[in-house]
Amino acid sequence: MVVKTLSPMAVQARADILEFELVNHPLDCPVCDKGGECPLQDFTFRHGYPTSRIDGPRLHFKKPIPLSENIALDRERCVLCYRCTRYYDEVAWEQELTVGQRGVQSFITSQFDQPLQSIFSGNIIDLCPVGALTSRVWRFESRPWDMTHTESICSKCAVGCNVNLWQRRGQLVRVTSRENDDIDEGWICDRGRFDYTDVNDPSRLRTPRINGAKATWADALATVSTGIKGKGAKLGISLPKDITNEEAFLFKRLLDGPLRGARVKMHGRTALPAPIAATLRIKDLDAARVIVIVASDTESDVPIVNLRIKKAASKRGARLIVIHPDGVDLDRDPNTIHIRNAPGSAAAEVRKLASHRLLKSAGGPIAILYGDGLGSEEMADLAKSCRDLADAVGGNVMPLYRATNERGAIEAGVAGWDPLDGIEALLSWGPPPTAGIPTSVKFMAAWDHLPRPENEKADVLLPATTFAQRQGSYTNLEGTVQFLRPPIEVVPPLKESWEVLVELGAALGLTLDYAGIFAIQRDAAAAIPALAALAQPPSPEPAPEPVLIGPAHP
Amino acid sequence: MAELRGSFGEARNHLLTRWFGTEDLHRLDVYESKAGGYTALRKALLDMKPAELVNEVKTSGLRGRGGAGFATGVKWSFINRDAPGPKYVVVNADESEPGTSKDRYIMENSPHMLLEGIMIAAYAVGANQAWVYIRGEYDGPHRMLVEAIAEARAKGYLGPKPMGVNYPLDIQLYRGHGAYICGEETALLESLEGKRAQPRSRPPFPAVKGAWGRPTLLNNVETLSTVPWIINNGGAAYVKFGTEKSPGTRLMSVSGNVRKPGVYEVELGQTFRHVIMELAGGPPDGRELKVFWPGGSSAPVLPASMLDTHTDMEALAAARSMGGSGGVIVMDDSHCVVKAAARLLRFYAHESCGKCTPCRVGSDWAVRTFDRILANEGSQVELGILERVADGLQNGRCLCGLGDSAGWVIDSTFRHFREEYEDHALRHTRARWWSRRPSSSASRSRSSATTTSSTRSAPAVSAWSSSPRDRRAHRQAARRRSPKEWW
Repeated sequence: MVVKTLSPMAVQARADILEFELVNHPLDCPVCDKGGECPLQDFTFRHGYPTSRIDGPRLHFKKPIPLSENIALDRERCVLCYRCTRYYDEVAWEQELTVGQRGVQSFITSQFDQPLQSIFSGNIIDLCPVGALTSRVWRFESRPWDMTHTESICSKCAVGCNVNLWQRRGQLVRVTSRENDDIDEGWICDRGRFDYTDVNDPSRLRTPRINGAKATWADALATVSTGIKGKGAKLGISLPKDITNEEAFLFKRLLDGPLRGARVKMHGRTALPAPIAATLRIKDLDAARVIVIVASDTESDVPIVNLRIKKAASKRGARLIVIHPDGVDLDRDPNTIHIRNAPGSAAAEVRKLASHRLLKSAGGPIAILYGDGLGSEEMADLAKSCRDLADAVGGNVMPLYRATNERGAIEAGVAGWDPLDGIEALLSWGPPPTAGIPTSVKFMAAWDHLPRPENEKADVLLPATTFAQRQGSYTNLEGTVQFLRPPIEVVPPLKESWEVLVELGAALGLTLDYAGIFAIQRDAAAAIPALAALAQPPSPEPAPEPVLIGPAHP
Repeated sequence: MAELRGSFGEARNHLLTRWFGTEDLHRLDVYESKAGGYTALRKALLDMKPAELVNEVKTSGLRGRGGAGFATGVKWSFINRDAPGPKYVVVNADESEPGTSKDRYIMENSPHMLLEGIMIAAYAVGANQAWVYIRGEYDGPHRMLVEAIAEARAKGYLGPKPMGVNYPLDIQLYRGHGAYICGEETALLESLEGKRAQPRSRPPFPAVKGAWGRPTLLNNVETLSTVPWIINNGGAAYVKFGTEKSPGTRLMSVSGNVRKPGVYEVELGQTFRHVIMELAGGPPDGRELKVFWPGGSSAPVLPASMLDTHTDMEALAAARSMGGSGGVIVMDDSHCVVKAAARLLRFYAHESCGKCTPCRVGSDWAVRTFDRILANEGSQVELGILERVADGLQNGRCLCGLGDSAGWVIDSTFRHFREEYEDHALRHTRARWWSRRPSSSASRSRSSATTTSSTRSAPAVSAWSSSPRDRRAHRQAARRRSPKEWW
């Protein structure tokens, strides 16, 4: 087949369509958030008629209309490409977005005018080829050309979606998706897209404090080391869920040395054990004929993996078997087999599956995904039964970790889930422990980026960087090591985490002789086989963007 | 009982309407005893194999009567009868084309003829289930079909064993909700599935992936109603009617400025002069025929000078029009073509589903442009916009034919009645009208004080005034001045 894209007929057809698109378009580009990165602008520039015959009144709608807390809809700008409704229908499997009326009066609307609830709603902003769907978080913040973007990794869960972080004047103003077909296929969830405003919080901690008074880093770290040194099991340490591999590597050195015996609790840690053999890749879900999901509500645990499962089911014809006590959104596939087990009995149900008709004659790869049922399941048993099932039917397993770098922290050996009861000293890194600060604590050091009520009790308060200022890497749930890039520079007195850890080590009497992140990455790559990819980080230069070619008038 | 105005009786070329007018023809016993009903179904189920049925229809050369004129037998053969899983037959009874009422005529006169055709088609393509998607406004035909289906069920023709053959058949009715787009086959399927009626992109065609993703045969009411005759008399007998490439007869619903509007069965290949002037009686006294739509409002118009065009599809294609749904709309010289085109465009803009940009925006833009021309605000610019919109709507720029149809309205009226458009847009504008107006001495004396040019004289009430009262005054003055109504 030969497709002619430059024949006079094709050229004129493009110009005609673009002219039609502009008949009712408000052309408010100067104040439109999309202006500058708008496909309608680009296409009109490239393919449109050089002159306009459009006059007379344009169609008007009430605008902007809030579609949800985060998304605003401008119906006048809408060109009714139906991308958002198609995405909602086919990719997200939600019924929240639809079209009202018909003909030229058609407009996008949410079902029954209710706000959008889906955790995947933000993707329609990226999909919208005009400025009809805009982020209310970023609305009227800046022009696209005033921002710079950095290719980074989302730090909200273990999937490791690739994102672009957009900065303007030292502020993180926007997060958009960056397509990586092996991981996210260009989708990110609303947690990753809208949950970033704490980075720009004016009340962010900037200087170390001892008992509420400003102090130098040296004094503060000396006080911390006095407070936590030699406490053994009386020392409790709370780790953030988005600790990087490099930080975990340094922290492991502290745990093996001066802080030996300390109890470690990681935020968001599932009860899943370390993987014992090669696990399934996210992209392998595309080829799976049967996908078994055990003890996990994938929509909230690993949202973008959830979209992969939906794609495998609706586009590739995979069959789904869900073992979960409650309803999950994968039940929307009428062919889903949902086994409602009593909490804690998932392993027994998995063993029964070995003789299931679907798994015996799957006719292709089988994927077994398992979570920890939010702590309700006996994990060693469940992990073993899933592995056994995979071996019996010829499939592979994918443990669904929840915390951002849980797999990397497990491999580095710092991902503990020890109870913190009865400790005397607490080093709280990141948000305070979810179970609260034990009453037995006599000395508390907090290392956080926001002032929180729990941190007021801290003897020493250290300022922390956020994901937008951090260098390093995450290992996602399938074991892929991906690199963070900081769009926002670390302004003194703020210090990078690895630097603080090195200085803390020095204060505790452990020499960690590092002057930069690369040396840490080299050593970590040599010490931990799973982090071998750290030896050669990819170039931080973003891929060049295609250049827009000038007008081609018909 | 249905209106019986039209053709029925013993005429040689009346295949479909042969028994129309028989009392109680819509009753199953009358249809069987007097009109020889259900013999074709009996023959098909007992004596013929499905492949033979398809071949018989292929031999007959029957072409779809819904609008596109696709060969029915070929369409039947597209459905893989041996494919596993259910297959469906969907009957398009959503006769929403303006000026067309032939399907209603069939359903009101002989609903069993349609049911028989559906059953034969279902047996031929391996379907056990058929739907009749009937236009929501068709209360009478719907009621008659409900009764007819009940009768057929009671008699056992619909059910687990029709005619004693182990081949379950069932027909269900689905009423539309009054959208023109639902007459388009894929939009009809979407609507049947309970979704927003918008066309699907093809391929896959309904024969491969139709209703609920299953192979689906979609035929028009008239097409399927012709099938019993073909099975009874053989495809070779059908070819004897009509022309070589468009055999048979078709129902034409003639409406508009004719003495005897109605549905007429016409052998394909007859001229429109025969249909309009002889069958329908031509325009009323003292009027001349001006323009006619040969195949429903979707078909490009033809002027009176092309009255000798033949009704077969090839001849119409050569005349740059189409057979369409067989609805002949006739207008005499009391009508303005521009105004008619504007009215039709308004219909298409209103009925556009909103999926494809050219149809959604283009038709609305054309309506607004027509409005300006008809409000005497036209100029060369407006004509240019209309031409460009017509271009942008045609040539398959949209998923379905609705966009093309809207483009054809402008395109064909422009082709045949260009001078009328120019008359409206260029001569009947307010500026020109003021310049030709014999000005009173009062206004002349006042204008001479301000300007020397007589063509640009400023009258007591400016033509450019935006007050509605002034505009109304200008319009009334214009009407008084021209005895002939010019729009």
